[in-house]
Amino acid sequence: MDVRESINIFERAATASAEEADQWKKENNGKVMGFMLTDVPEELLHAAGFLPFAVNSVAGRLECADAHLQAWACSYSRNCLAAAAQGKLSFLDGLVIPHTCDTMRMLMGVWEQIQPLPFMKNYRLPRQVARPSAGIYLHGELQRLKGALENFRGQQIKDDALRESIALYNSNRSLLRHLYRLHESTLSPLSSKDLFTIIKAAMVMPREKVNLLLKQLLACLEEGNTENCRRGDIRLLISGTLLEPLQLLDFISEKGGIVVADDLQNGSRYLVADVAESGDPLEALAERQLTRIPTALYEPQKQNRMEYLANLAREQRADGVLFVHLKFCEPENYDYYDNVKAMEKAGIPAMAVESSFGGVHTGQLQTRVHAFMEMLGGEGTD
Amino acid sequence: MRELTEIIPWQTANLMKRLMADYYKQGAEAKEKGIPVAWVTAVFPVEIIYAAGMFPFYPENFGAVAAARKMAHTLSSVAEAKGYAHDLCAYARCGLGDAHSKEHPLGEIVRPDLLLCCNTQCGSLSKWFEVAGRFYQAPYFLLDAPQVGMEPEALCKQYFTAQLQELIAFLEGYTGNKFDYDRLREVIGYANEACRLWNEILEAAALKPAPFGFFDACYHMAPIVTMRGTPQAVEYYRTLQHELEDRIAKNIFAIKDERYKLYFDHIPLWPKLRWFSELCASHNALVVVSQYTHSWAYQFDLDQPLESLAENYTEEFVNRVFDYRAQRMLKLMRQYDVSGFILFSNRSCKPNAFGLYDTKNFLSNKTGLPGVVFEADMSDLRFFSEAQVLAKLEPFFEQIESNQRRGGYASI
Ligand code: SF4
Ligand code: SF4
Repeated sequence: MDVRESINIFERAATASAEEADQWKKENNGKVMGFMLTDVPEELLHAAGFLPFAVNSVAGRLECADAHLQAWACSYSRNCLAAAAQGKLSFLDGLVIPHTCDTMRMLMGVWEQIQPLPFMKNYRLPRQVARPSAGIYLHGELQRLKGALENFRGQQIKDDALRESIALYNSNRSLLRHLYRLHESTLSPLSSKDLFTIIKAAMVMPREKVNLLLKQLLACLEEGNTENCRRGDIRLLISGTLLEPLQLLDFISEKGGIVVADDLQNGSRYLVADVAESGDPLEALAERQLTRIPTALYEPQKQNRMEYLANLAREQRADGVLFVHLKFCEPENYDYYDNVKAMEKAGIPAMAVESSFGGVHTGQLQTRVHAFMEMLGGEGTD
Repeated sequence: MRELTEIIPWQTANLMKRLMADYYKQGAEAKEKGIPVAWVTAVFPVEIIYAAGMFPFYPENFGAVAAARKMAHTLSSVAEAKGYAHDLCAYARCGLGDAHSKEHPLGEIVRPDLLLCCNTQCGSLSKWFEVAGRFYQAPYFLLDAPQVGMEPEALCKQYFTAQLQELIAFLEGYTGNKFDYDRLREVIGYANEACRLWNEILEAAALKPAPFGFFDACYHMAPIVTMRGTPQAVEYYRTLQHELEDRIAKNIFAIKDERYKLYFDHIPLWPKLRWFSELCASHNALVVVSQYTHSWAYQFDLDQPLESLAENYTEEFVNRVFDYRAQRMLKLMRQYDVSGFILFSNRSCKPNAFGLYDTKNFLSNKTGLPGVVFEADMSDLRFFSEAQVLAKLEPFFEQIESNQRRGGYASI
């Protein structure tokens, strides 16, 4: 298999995620557990025997959510709810929604009115992460989630099985990180969009299969046929909650840019934190959650997000920082002013663009991104 | 439309003005006296702050005052110029706008020495406080309340209680003084009494006709929000209760010819409070109940102060799941025997607006009563269109009036 073929498999999985999950169900007589990004402990869902499935990969027609959720809710929540309302998510056996923001806190109740699934649970993450009470509580909350999954599945989740799932996910993350490093550090035939498409696919495909495919892809890449490789000269850090549409990455490439770092839920936040494979597995899952990279969604006492971003930009030698603000994402918007100030202080050019699921107004987005790239010295090919 | 001026003003209004003026003065004086100013949120165990000898300041109240004086837009535009989007909660935009303003059209917001947030209400406040903490370079502490399901849960209660202990340790560290639990019990005693009186007062709205309605409650709410735990709040509600009894004896009612009662959720449209109440009154309707004004129904156990603070502050309706909220609305609607309900889809307040469309369906199915959802913003008139709101409300009133002709007050 060559690089393109391999990327095509991921691309198909990312775009036809619902069909593929449905097929997986039939072939394996299995159950699919949906989750909203990104802090849901998938290891637990996997150990309970489910195929964890990131719901954002299924596109909904936003207006199908109008009767249930205001137009000024973020397009992420509206997209997923619309997909549910359109019956596009009926293959799900269950859904876990992490409490990351007010929208997620309210979403479950609305979803239940539209398309109640056999299993629906909120995963109530602690929003302060620095004090001892957070760890104790989170352990209890993980136990609650585990108990509910066991009840639904009708079988216990053994510690060993959970450890195996943790190991599988750790290797999945480590392969994805490897891919990311290759992408940003060498002349690689992968575009930034390819990279993020692969991450998107990895959130919905059986993870065993993902690992196999990633190993093959990495082998091909390391063999190093770098013909036809376009190398981005302008190194960008992308910051935000959720990057959508991925087409935005094309706008960056069009001007010779390359994504070298990010703190996105559908990017690095998904990849960076591993879980200890020894000791009490629930404690290990809790520990990972409380030490994840900073985001707008949790109190920043432990790690200051502004400093984190400035350091990340420096370490990765980023030429600029693009803040992608998914419109109506309240937590992210609160951080924006201070984030930009921090970049100014660090002498790193930054700009914010507004984006949305549903792919409307991409022309405007393209213009803005191009303008930023040009400011950073991008030549472009058009 | 009937003029509100026909309505006899509350004598307690003068007392309110004095109390609030005192409150703001205390805030200004706190600095000189070396009393730490702690920003707190409306649903925060403020009893602890009083017991710790600090001055609690409610920036949400600042936001509401800005809104009522129709200045939300002015302050907000300063925040927007800095990159804060206009879809953030308007209270926060007003607070951040004031922070970034050179001129302070409302008087500068009382600057915090420390910021204490409880996220029972929403996650908007915790972000605002976090940002403000950076701006004013003051320490920030978050009391985190996980959403509670249909039944109270030990897990959440224990987590919150543990955090109250962490909070107390944090305050001890800040002030250098040992926390005084006897003083806490004393404060809690006052809070219990003020809450008890407040809820008795709210119940008067169920009388037919009623001497007191939701819009009155919005006016008289400030002390229960900002001074709960002080003897002044108790005194205020005692006086108000006497005045209310006096009005009942003299047959003075909230509106002329009350013919039916309405349920309203959630926060009022501050800059349009009078307009809205007059609109209802012109249809002989009195809004009598809302979860908003019924939020302060705390009863604390003096023997277990922290545990009972945890229960009261985490099990509030704002922190509950969809079904619980809908059931509670239903209960209040029945208790007050309303003929219809108005749900306000408030752009500022995602946690209270999201879910309202389905809540409406739920309530309609359960009660068969007319109900309506309208869109606006509690503070920001840029998101208010009188024509659009009327287009929703007029048919609603017509429906109620036609039901009314068939049989008086609803019985659901
Ligand atoms: S964090 Fe932002 S993007 Fe994610 S669900 Fe909440 S509002 Fe939407
Ligand atoms: S209005 Fe809503 S969003 Fe704003 S502070 Fe109050 S509860 Fe939070």
